[in-house]
Amino acid sequence: MEKVLLKNIHNPLSADIDEYIKIGGYNSIYKAFEMTSAAVIDEVKISGLRGRGGAGFPTAMKWLFAAADPQKPKYLLCNADEGEPGTFKDRVILEKNPHLLIEGIVISAYAIGAEYGYIYLRGEYPNARDILVKAIKQAYEKNYLGDNIINKGVRFHLQVHCGAGAYICGEETALIESIEGKRGQPRIKPPFPVNNGLSLKPTVVNNVETLSNIPYIIEIGGDTYSKIGSPESPGIKLFSVSGHVKKPGVYELPMGTTLKEIIYNHCGGIRDDKKLKAIIPGGVSAPVVTPDKIDCQMDFVNLSKVGSMFGSGAVIVFDETVDIVKVCLRVAKFFEHESCGKCTPCREGVSWMRAIIERISSSYGLPEDLNLLMEVSNNISGKTLCALGDGASISVQSFIKNFRNEFEEKLRK
Amino acid sequence: MITVTINGKKITLQKPVTILEAAKIAGIKIPTLCHHEMIKAYGGCRLCLVEIEGVPRLQTACSQPVADGLIVLTETERVIEARKAVLEFLLINHPLDCPICDKAGECTLQNLVIKYGPAAGRFAEGKRKYLENYEDPLIVRNMERCILCAKCVRMCDDVQGASAIAITNRGAKSYVEPFSGGRFNCEYCGNCLTVCPTGAILSKMHKHIYRPWLIEKEVETVCSFCGVGCSMILQIRGNSIIRNIPKTNKLNSELLCNKGRFGYDYINNSNRLNTPLIKKDGQLQPATWEEALTYTANKLKEIKEEKGSEAIAGIISGRCTNEEAYVFQKFFRLALRSNNIDSSAGFAYAPAQKFLEKIFGQGVTANSIHGISNSDGIFVIGGDPAFVNPVLGLQIRSAYKKCIPVITVGYADGLRNFSSCQFVPNPLTETALLAALVSEIRDKKTLSGERPAFEEIINKVQRLTPRDISDTCAIALDELNEALAILSDMTNPSIIIGRDIVQTMNGHINLMLLAALVYLLNGRVYLMSELPNEQGLLDMGCQPDMLPSGRPLAIETFRRRCEEIFGAEIPSKPGLTFVEIIDAAFYGKIKALFVQGENVLFSLPNIEYVRNAIENLEFLVVQDIFLTETARIADVVLPGLSWAEKNGSYTNLERKIQFTKKAVDGHGMEQWKAIAELSKILGFDMNYSSEADIFSEIAKVSLLYKNLTTKDIIAGDCIWPYKGEPLRHDTHIGWLEVPDILPLMKKPEIGKIYCYKDACLFYAENSSRYSSALQSISPAPYVKISNALADRLSISTGDYVNVSTENRNITLLAKRDPHLPENIALIANLDDKGIFNIINWKLNHVIKTPILDGNEVIIKKIGGNNNPS
Repeated sequence: MEKVLLKNIHNPLSADIDEYIKIGGYNSIYKAFEMTSAAVIDEVKISGLRGRGGAGFPTAMKWLFAAADPQKPKYLLCNADEGEPGTFKDRVILEKNPHLLIEGIVISAYAIGAEYGYIYLRGEYPNARDILVKAIKQAYEKNYLGDNIINKGVRFHLQVHCGAGAYICGEETALIESIEGKRGQPRIKPPFPVNNGLSLKPTVVNNVETLSNIPYIIEIGGDTYSKIGSPESPGIKLFSVSGHVKKPGVYELPMGTTLKEIIYNHCGGIRDDKKLKAIIPGGVSAPVVTPDKIDCQMDFVNLSKVGSMFGSGAVIVFDETVDIVKVCLRVAKFFEHESCGKCTPCREGVSWMRAIIERISSSYGLPEDLNLLMEVSNNISGKTLCALGDGASISVQSFIKNFRNEFEEKLRK
Repeated sequence: MITVTINGKKITLQKPVTILEAAKIAGIKIPTLCHHEMIKAYGGCRLCLVEIEGVPRLQTACSQPVADGLIVLTETERVIEARKAVLEFLLINHPLDCPICDKAGECTLQNLVIKYGPAAGRFAEGKRKYLENYEDPLIVRNMERCILCAKCVRMCDDVQGASAIAITNRGAKSYVEPFSGGRFNCEYCGNCLTVCPTGAILSKMHKHIYRPWLIEKEVETVCSFCGVGCSMILQIRGNSIIRNIPKTNKLNSELLCNKGRFGYDYINNSNRLNTPLIKKDGQLQPATWEEALTYTANKLKEIKEEKGSEAIAGIISGRCTNEEAYVFQKFFRLALRSNNIDSSAGFAYAPAQKFLEKIFGQGVTANSIHGISNSDGIFVIGGDPAFVNPVLGLQIRSAYKKCIPVITVGYADGLRNFSSCQFVPNPLTETALLAALVSEIRDKKTLSGERPAFEEIINKVQRLTPRDISDTCAIALDELNEALAILSDMTNPSIIIGRDIVQTMNGHINLMLLAALVYLLNGRVYLMSELPNEQGLLDMGCQPDMLPSGRPLAIETFRRRCEEIFGAEIPSKPGLTFVEIIDAAFYGKIKALFVQGENVLFSLPNIEYVRNAIENLEFLVVQDIFLTETARIADVVLPGLSWAEKNGSYTNLERKIQFTKKAVDGHGMEQWKAIAELSKILGFDMNYSSEADIFSEIAKVSLLYKNLTTKDIIAGDCIWPYKGEPLRHDTHIGWLEVPDILPLMKKPEIGKIYCYKDACLFYAENSSRYSSALQSISPAPYVKISNALADRLSISTGDYVNVSTENRNITLLAKRDPHLPENIALIANLDDKGIFNIINWKLNHVIKTPILDGNEVIIKKIGGNNNPS
């Protein structure tokens, strides 16, 4: 299949606007601007596109809420705070195909009636920042951004806003707080950003990959797009595969490709042909799965059927040499470090979980530690303000559930 | 109409509120740690999680709005388990130092743990450790006890608007810290102390002293610092005030300012006077009360007989209660037969009020402070309300946050971030600015026709455009136009007037133009008041030309009425004002002066002149709680009682009467009692048994307080008009003159620097000098100068400079200020290095106020080689 999101990325000049236009770039803007904004949303609705950032919320629904809100101005924020460990798909788009993203942003902004937008970029992506800033400048020069885009009377201004290294700012309300110049902490919902987001105005926050799918949907039509991949969650998807595979990297595949295909066909199998031990299929917030789930289709519906989560489509592969308790500790440490501290269960609980796992991992654990760990994690789950605490809790629980014997082994030492 | 069911109880609500509020209405308590009525919902502590039918996740009651038909459960097993889990999380890092924690006994966390039972103690790791921070003179931070509810931070940001503290670091390593690091660089309102649910933020003043269960009594009273009159509760043990907390009410909600919260300790100052003093052989020496009173009475009698009643004058302080003020004026008018009675209210508050009341009728300044944030615009001139009347200032800040436009004229640091437009006009050009505002708005609006005579006056105001005055006032034309556009849109603004615009050469013209502005915009007037009872002094008749209830002495019918009640004749000739009394003393016309609570050698400029005037007196009596500069040169000093040691009432700037109550015992004698004794010796009996006795007489004499009982006041909300209609509608404006504005439009000479008094947040006239708490945060005497001037003279912040006028000079620390115009220097009136030590005053003959503007200074860097011109 011809690449859509990764089109032309091997061209060293792929980030240049002329190269992008040469391969048909920015054509979808013309097409979209011929349609009404409602028709654009409709097309996206038919396509069945779901958010690619991790939560998988139907994109068109978000847009409809914001479009229906009478308040002005509206904002479109592109979430480029790609911080989930194991995820590095957005970076490829940001660095290699920025104009695809800008085109997607302009069409989306037109659809919801947003006049201003920000790309909230992960602080650790300085290269992407330079590339994006340049690309935005080029887009302004070619009148794809500005007060009268392609002379159709559409106004949209775009700017890059860099984060400063907080994972939580990938959470949409914390991202908004951060753009407002405040401490990056999630807000309570409701009200939701679609009604009261940036400066309390209607705001849509979409992931880089989600927005990059929009030009293609407009090009081929929602209906055609919806036929790609899994019927329940269709479309094309970037998979970032890392860990013990022969060819780690970013792969553009249809939704619903099985784990087995990804690991063995596309990534060339396990490094040194060792035995597969565990897979985290959707970034570290997703529960770990055992090799028997390898035939599972990678999409929002099927992964939840096997007790995991599609998340951002970041596949982390572990072979038999891996100490699962150490992996669990690493994951817990990550969440402890990234917890913003606003709500009690996440702030105190995650750090407590880390402490217990650390004890177990270094063979100083107590017999009741495993139960305690489960209880602490249960006490976090479902009580936190945002999904970070839940993610930490679910993830740790999945390690214990699937690899209990390894934890117990450590306790016996 | 919304109906929700909480724990099976049906509640009908008019408007959507949160589940927490709905539960409160239903009498169902949901525990919270991070919620506070005044602050936006935060959802951080997770204690208020409740179950909502049909919603799988538990939801926070503090943030979730109710919807019709919602079924909420707040006490299910699942909910209780969640609360216990949250409490366990909070406790794992919370030290178990309740026995030595000042918060124990009133700690929300402690109470909740008692309710839900302690956790099993499963946390085997070491707790977070932070050193207790003592770097600040007033506030101690113990971050081990902090549960990161962020109430302090949100209070500081959202309500106080000081934005001085923040949560630092992330996750489990978060803690609260001022941006300035160790010591707070803030407004010291201490409202963070009020909201802290644990012992994380504590007041140093009662550290390790306060134990809630050892508090013997709580006394509800009114703050003794400014004219807002915040309600507060003094917590007493033995004969000491252990702590002072705000009372929740409509006036100040739960807020206080630095002075109100920390400044009360002046009453414990070791320099308090305990015994009467009589000057013998040039030295003040202890005496008995009998000696002192007899001596005083005889001396006053002698002077009265020899030099006449007109040679005697009395000055009272705006810190005295209504009862004291009433007895004071009665003593002067009836026993000494003199109308020479005034107070520092006579500098600006009284003339401004009199001026406005003559045009609009009595009560024009009686507007609720609470209402400021509900007006559709705010115009501030002549002072910084955020510093002078801080809790009133918060209303302005809160209004600004609600997008209500605020226009500030003059230097007002406390409103810097809360003004839509703020400009500091050139010195001596405020009148031109006001005239332009009036003339422009007049031309934009149609006059209502309500007061034709006043409209005629307004129409006579010279036509001035922003272009005409922009250069003179040194305000950019577009800024002026913007302000005018905003002003013209206001339909019911709050117009807040401070001293500085009255105590000027053209004070009377400024007041006339402000009155015009009030009329044109349909504004509500607020007069900033630096002392707690300036309004009360006016109402009690402590003015040379006014009798109790603010009726002019000249109205014979009322004077006769008073005479009948008093059974004695009241002299009909108006007396001298404060400044006139000083002048008269200087020229030997006043021979005896009785000063109650005022420090004359501190509250007027040209202290040398005032000292000469005072020293020229034959007899000076000072009734005070401290041996002030004035008391030191007195012939007799009578120790009084402080505000916390006696009963009484204050009338605040919105004309709300509130009781101050005796909380502790003091060593002096009630001021009114001493005066009554003197009166008795002088042959005019004043037999009052208590303050209540005096108050009932006031209610009889004063038309304002007619039929008012102590019960009414205790019931609260005793606001103007107290019982029925305001009294004086008989406004006549024949006396108003419309001046020629053009001659006033003088641009100050280039190179000249004019100095003005700087409002200092931590300082409130005399008594704050005796508060060690306020002294600990008060700045060293300083002069604020513009960056441009500082650059020209190569002065940096922290350099010492010499500030001199014609014949006096002082050395001060320089502070650079980017917001000041080049020709203005600001100096606070701090101790002996204040602005009043170097500047002069003249008398404004129209409104009898001291003129404090137009004082030129020369600033020189010490050790530097420069010339400011």
